Amino acid sequence: MERISSHQFVVLSSAVLMGTTFLPIASIVTEVASRDGWMSVMPGFAVGIPYSLMVLSLLEQHPQKNLLQISEILLGKWISKITGVLYIFITCYFGGLLLGQAGDIYQSSIMPLTPIGMFYLGGILLVFYLVKSGIEVFSRFSEILFPLIIIALVLNMGLSISRMEQGELLPILSEGIKPVIWGGLKVAPFAMEYILFLAGILVFLPTGKRELAQLKRGVWRGVFLVGFLNMMVVLTQILIFGPEETVRIVYGLLVLGKMVEISRTVAGVESVFLGAWLGALIIKVGAFFFTVTWGLETVFNLKGLKWNLGVGVVFMGIAFKFTRGPDLVMEIGLVDNYLILPFASVWILTLWGISRWKGAGIS
Amino acid sequence: MGSWMKMIKELTIRPKGKRQIRKSPAYSFDEDLKKPLSGQTVKEILSKSSDVVFREFFLQGKDRIPCMLVAVDGLVDKNLLDEFILKPLMVDFAGHPELAQMTLSNVIDKTMESLLPGIEIKKISKMGDAIDTILSGDSVIFFGNLTEAIVIGARGWAHRGVAEPITESIVKGPREGFSETLRINTSLLRRKIKHPSLRIISLKLGDMTNTDLVVTYIEKIASPDIVSEVFKRLSKIKMDAMLGNGYIEEMIEDNPYSPFPQISFTERPDVLAGKLLEGKVGIIVDGTPIVLVVPAILTQFLNVNEDYYQRAMVAILSRFVRYVGAFVAIVAPSVYIAVTTFHQEIIPTDLFMSISAGRQGVPFPALLEAFTMTVVLEILQEAGLRLPKPIGQTIGIVGALIIGDAAVTAGLVSPLMVIIIGLTAVASYAIPTFDLSLAVRLIRFPLMILAGVLGFFGVTVGLYVILIHLLGLRSFGVPYTSPIAPLRIRALLQDTFVRAPWWALKRRPQLMDVEDPRPNGKG
Repeated sequence: MERISSHQFVVLSSAVLMGTTFLPIASIVTEVASRDGWMSVMPGFAVGIPYSLMVLSLLEQHPQKNLLQISEILLGKWISKITGVLYIFITCYFGGLLLGQAGDIYQSSIMPLTPIGMFYLGGILLVFYLVKSGIEVFSRFSEILFPLIIIALVLNMGLSISRMEQGELLPILSEGIKPVIWGGLKVAPFAMEYILFLAGILVFLPTGKRELAQLKRGVWRGVFLVGFLNMMVVLTQILIFGPEETVRIVYGLLVLGKMVEISRTVAGVESVFLGAWLGALIIKVGAFFFTVTWGLETVFNLKGLKWNLGVGVVFMGIAFKFTRGPDLVMEIGLVDNYLILPFASVWILTLWGISRWKGAGIS
Repeated sequence: MGSWMKMIKELTIRPKGKRQIRKSPAYSFDEDLKKPLSGQTVKEILSKSSDVVFREFFLQGKDRIPCMLVAVDGLVDKNLLDEFILKPLMVDFAGHPELAQMTLSNVIDKTMESLLPGIEIKKISKMGDAIDTILSGDSVIFFGNLTEAIVIGARGWAHRGVAEPITESIVKGPREGFSETLRINTSLLRRKIKHPSLRIISLKLGDMTNTDLVVTYIEKIASPDIVSEVFKRLSKIKMDAMLGNGYIEEMIEDNPYSPFPQISFTERPDVLAGKLLEGKVGIIVDGTPIVLVVPAILTQFLNVNEDYYQRAMVAILSRFVRYVGAFVAIVAPSVYIAVTTFHQEIIPTDLFMSISAGRQGVPFPALLEAFTMTVVLEILQEAGLRLPKPIGQTIGIVGALIIGDAAVTAGLVSPLMVIIIGLTAVASYAIPTFDLSLAVRLIRFPLMILAGVLGFFGVTVGLYVILIHLLGLRSFGVPYTSPIAPLRIRALLQDTFVRAPWWALKRRPQLMDVEDPRPNGKG
């Protein structure tokens, strides 16, 4: 059985949580909270902290079991089977949509004449190779890519400083606090996407007392780091584009990349930044590919190469169904808000509540 | 069809547990080895070889004892045998009181105790040992029909002296390098590490060649798991010939299908000593100046021993240049293809105009242009490598200057393409390890194709595939990309991309579980 260290878990968690949230987040929160959208980001991601801690406390009580196995213990066979099927369906569908996003981003921003299927194929091959190499390699991949993604983000934002206009942020909280809270709710599904991955990866985590404490600390650190970076991304886009344009441009960071120019020498380097963004997408799609395979293995005992190939084909099929940008973004939003958020929040709360109740009953 | 499938399977599938076993034919010689030891049988086995010398003489003791010294001409020090073995036994000790009491039953013990002055003298009683020792260069004296004999270590043959290694030249540091003689190599190592924990364990490999090799490590530092894994993998090697380190390398590495080297090598005793002090294990094979060192990690192939002899700041700069060089050598042609074919927007306008003007009239697409030139570069490198030095240089000049210039003048390639290929060639020479340089040459081609088909997306996918492959590699259980992933912060900061000053290198690099993590046991 493969194992990953506490440090690797922290980096992997941060990378999965981050995913490509930095691409659409500015548009999402600004639509609800206008120029105060940046304030919604941290609270939105912070929702993930109590849920992650609940999951880790369940791991403490049921070491080396994933959340589906824990469900079977706490909820019984049939309810856990139904939960498992839902889990597989949601993660598979969402993973396919994210793969579609990879193709959409590349085709719409730098290679409009290349057939979108080529991007899907390249992406799924990478994900498949990554998944086949195992969770250890996946965590190492994140260890290398995540710092590069952060550097690319910082560079992208830093090189755009000259275009910022402070006036775009004012007046602060002109619409009151309510839009900020609603904006936070729009961000919360991002945290829940990560919780679904966490539900599956539990089997590979260390379960010693010291390590569990490190994992819990790591969750805090990861959420704050990702939340902070996303907040800066939103802030940068609002300062440069203004709230109205930020809402309109779905992938604002790509436009920022196009606008980067240094001394008339380096210009239009979004294709270089896209290399890092592709890494982020691969990590996110890979995470959902993993969750589907773990789900299939736990619920139906289906494992091995042919099932992995099957998952890959399904991902491709879903990606092909939504080839156009607006449809795809809308579908991702729907899945986030109406499937992932309610499913993850109810599932985790129920399991944690029953576990606490049973624990109290025993004591 | 069936036989084809069988052949493909044999070629591609390695048998589990055993690494590429090529069975020796059943020699009748094996039967001879089971016979009891006697001079006569040895003579029967070896007499067909003209280089084996059988010197028969008598010892005049209480009995007249027939003796026979067997040695291989060319592998023994004849002077030593004449002066210190044969002359004392036949002439000097005539009439010696010990000799007067000597009978066939006590001849071996008496001779060893009183008559032979050498250090390397021992008794043997097995036929296999006798044959092995004779063919390895030792001499054996048989006495009458006794089933025991005396081995005399009097090896001596023509060998290359200690010279400066060709593959690891250095500006500031020791100049000595390993040679083809095993004992010289172990002595060079022993001179560097004068500590009782240095272990030098002898083995023999190759059913026919009986090649000597030693496994060396420092007991208090090397991980016992890695040491036992080395012995385990070596013990599984079964083949007729072991003519060099390359034979072993392919059979003990973790992933033989990877283009990346998973075992490092050195020709320098100081490098080997340094690696052993980091907890690694060395394998020295007789007959080759190349010493294998395991486990190996990717970044060490880009670091050279000179880094440790220069001041830290200079070493850091050199390493930076090497890492940049390696990256350029991998991606330069593919980036050229991607930029000129798909992403012209990232080129500043003036430069773009200049490139366009240069490509005006070139009949080939960028992919074909770059591919052809890279193939030409490979041919030139391969041609220049094995030719005598002066001719090799000529080939380089003819290829680089004349062909390049002619190709541009004829309008077959653009001037920028020649610059890119030149840059790639120079950058690949910045990679200090030949094995890694070969791997880089190999992965450059698929990246170019991906760039030609999918632009930067293709290059990124290719680089990520390589990255995932590297992340999955292990060398004797140690992750190949350590200390970057999995992150070992101390090793990363001390001696990976940068080299910390010596006073800051307080603990051993934490790449693997070493027994004693502190240098000198106190840091």
